[in-house]
Amino acid sequence: MPKDIKSKNKKKSSLGQRRKKFSWLVPLASINLTLTLLSLSMILVFVATLEQVRIGIRGALAEYFESMFGIWHYPEQFWGGEFLNAIPIPIPGGYLLGGLLIVNLTAAYITRFQWTGKKMGIQLIHLGIIMLLVGQLATQAMQEESRMQINKGESSNYIERFHGVELAFSDVTNPDTQRVVTIPQEILEEGGTIRTADLPFKIQVKHFGVNCDFTVTPEGSTRGGLVKDVNRGVGQTANLSISQKEEDFSSEGLNFGYLIFELFDGTNSLGTWLTLAHPGGNHWWKESPKLSDLAFQPIRHEGKLWGVTLRSEREYLPYSIELLDVENEFYQGTEIPFNFESDIVLNMEGNRSRRALVYMNTPLRHGGKTFYQYQMNAAANYTVFQVIRNPSWLVPYIACVLVSIGLLWQFSFHLIRFLRKNSNSAQAA
Amino acid sequence: MPASFLRAQSFLRLCIVLGSAWILSSCGDQPEIRSYEIPSEYTGPVVSWELPEEWGENPDLSGPMAGSFHVKTDLGPMGRIGVMPFRESVSSVDVANMFGMELGQASMDEEKLKKISEIKKIGDREFEWIRISDNGHEGSTRTVLLALYRNKGETWLFPFIGDRDLIREQEKNFESFLASTTLRAGQVEIRAKAPALPPPPAHDSHGAPTWEIPEHWVKTSASSMRLASYEVTDGNNSKLDFSVTSFPGDVGGTLANVNRWLGQIGIDPVQEADLEQYISPIVLDEKEAQLVVAEGETDSLFAAILMVEDRSWFFKLTGNRELAKVEKSNFLSFLESVCFH
Repeated sequence: MPKDIKSKNKKKSSLGQRRKKFSWLVPLASINLTLTLLSLSMILVFVATLEQVRIGIRGALAEYFESMFGIWHYPEQFWGGEFLNAIPIPIPGGYLLGGLLIVNLTAAYITRFQWTGKKMGIQLIHLGIIMLLVGQLATQAMQEESRMQINKGESSNYIERFHGVELAFSDVTNPDTQRVVTIPQEILEEGGTIRTADLPFKIQVKHFGVNCDFTVTPEGSTRGGLVKDVNRGVGQTANLSISQKEEDFSSEGLNFGYLIFELFDGTNSLGTWLTLAHPGGNHWWKESPKLSDLAFQPIRHEGKLWGVTLRSEREYLPYSIELLDVENEFYQGTEIPFNFESDIVLNMEGNRSRRALVYMNTPLRHGGKTFYQYQMNAAANYTVFQVIRNPSWLVPYIACVLVSIGLLWQFSFHLIRFLRKNSNSAQAA
Repeated sequence: MPASFLRAQSFLRLCIVLGSAWILSSCGDQPEIRSYEIPSEYTGPVVSWELPEEWGENPDLSGPMAGSFHVKTDLGPMGRIGVMPFRESVSSVDVANMFGMELGQASMDEEKLKKISEIKKIGDREFEWIRISDNGHEGSTRTVLLALYRNKGETWLFPFIGDRDLIREQEKNFESFLASTTLRAGQVEIRAKAPALPPPPAHDSHGAPTWEIPEHWVKTSASSMRLASYEVTDGNNSKLDFSVTSFPGDVGGTLANVNRWLGQIGIDPVQEADLEQYISPIVLDEKEAQLVVAEGETDSLFAAILMVEDRSWFFKLTGNRELAKVEKSNFLSFLESVCFH
């Protein structure tokens, strides 16, 4: 038997052994499953694109991509919509399809692919695609998006999440340090009474919501509804009334989170407060004299001054960024931005510092975070960075390199074979 | 190995793979309460204190007031104590005149101020102590006690406004309150204005009603919180005290008020469910009110509680049990005469 036939048979028998060993993976490696999942992915993208108009990008992401399945209602304005709209249609979500695609590709990788030079390109391409899918899942699970606003000439050492609030108590009695105790949104959503050894009082959550409308009730009229028990702080002095609102997922949506809570020292009530979170950061409350204290409502207790506020979830950094200058340029005669630029100094740990320019598509990377130029107001002299922490940010790059090498390998392999064949037939002729 | 067993094994492995994918996709940080220290970033002034047990906090802080309190008394909250941080050196004469003019005092100069002021050392700090009496309203015993503390060009003012006797009685508490304060200037400029003094009782009536008082009830001096104050006596030196008071809000609610009054005549406090044995509905000037009747071993209490436009009105007669029995009908006649117009 010729040598190459022998080796071919050996490889085939090795693949056969592998298929036998992993027989339970064979149904999962089905190409039909791949095609079905890809078709469902297309439907998912189509439905989510339609829904994005109604519920915004963030809403569509949460409902359809960051879930195992979503419920879709056929649009009323489409043909037959008046009848079909009422029927809830389950759509497989991004986590389900992505997870199954990973399983499908991995199963195919194990049970079908041959470890030969000829097939090496295809293996690399598939490995790259698996890495892309896994990387996307990891990104979904681990990526955090925040913002950092800095006024010109000032520095900042914290970032605030775009979504999610926290109730923060700060003991500011000590002139040098400030003790901060934060309660995250998830705990506030659970409601009930919150006790912690870090606070000298307990907190009873009365009402919490992620969005509301608020108005200053005219003097003389009585506040009712959710705020009827509020007898301390800005809610009382500004006579604020609120009404619950659904969370606005649209990109322009402004969600004012609210919390009504009562504080207790033992069984003695210290009062009931209303606090609101500004979607742009609580420093914006200072623009309104009546509401400015929403950024810091004083609570005096046992000789200490505490400030309480409901704010975007905050993370302090071991370094700070100082804004030296801001510049924005527009295309001549238009208001279309040409360039946003922030001239900054990064003050790092160990008294080291680094000067940098942050502008469109040229972010600053430090400490596992990437600072992109996000917003700017040259007139008001401040800049806003979008801060991304994504531990798996390198995975898509590696995946793309693998796919590229795989494609290059595969095409080169066929090209060389074709050229060889061509030159052999030319010689024979 | 039977085929069914292999199929079951395959299914189990499949479940494990899918389950792992599910867990991976749903894993994340568990929410938790965090506590940490940061370099101080608070730029406002720091004023904190420990409140004497007999004092309560007023919720409505107006303007530059950092704190506002009252004295808890049997008759309800009385007097007003404030905390006002000034971000500048304020002249004592200006401050004294600001409050003095409200009390009908002629404008003061340095010489006159010296006569009513002294330096008081409380803890490590020296306070300027100024006492001003009401000259503008006949029979009024309203007094203002001002404590001024100066530090590095900044002034902290603590006005105590109330009845003369109340201030005298609470002076020790006022001093211990001042001793407990932490005062630190802020970096953000604020300017304090004079606090609005509690107007004289006649003007604090918020749509005060009129009434007819039995002829033999003797008028006594009204305080800043008592809109009317009368005394009833008999030949045996037995006494009854009658008062009309009014406060914004429900002042703690019916249960808290009734329990406080019961305590004054030696009756144990009751639960909400047992409140009915002391209160009954009554109509005052076509408005629904509550009549409180309680008899202790030596003293009795008759009172009416009325809520008008978010304001509580208390009509209360208390004192000797035997005399109270006699005066009960007069008290009820008085209630019938109450008219809010």
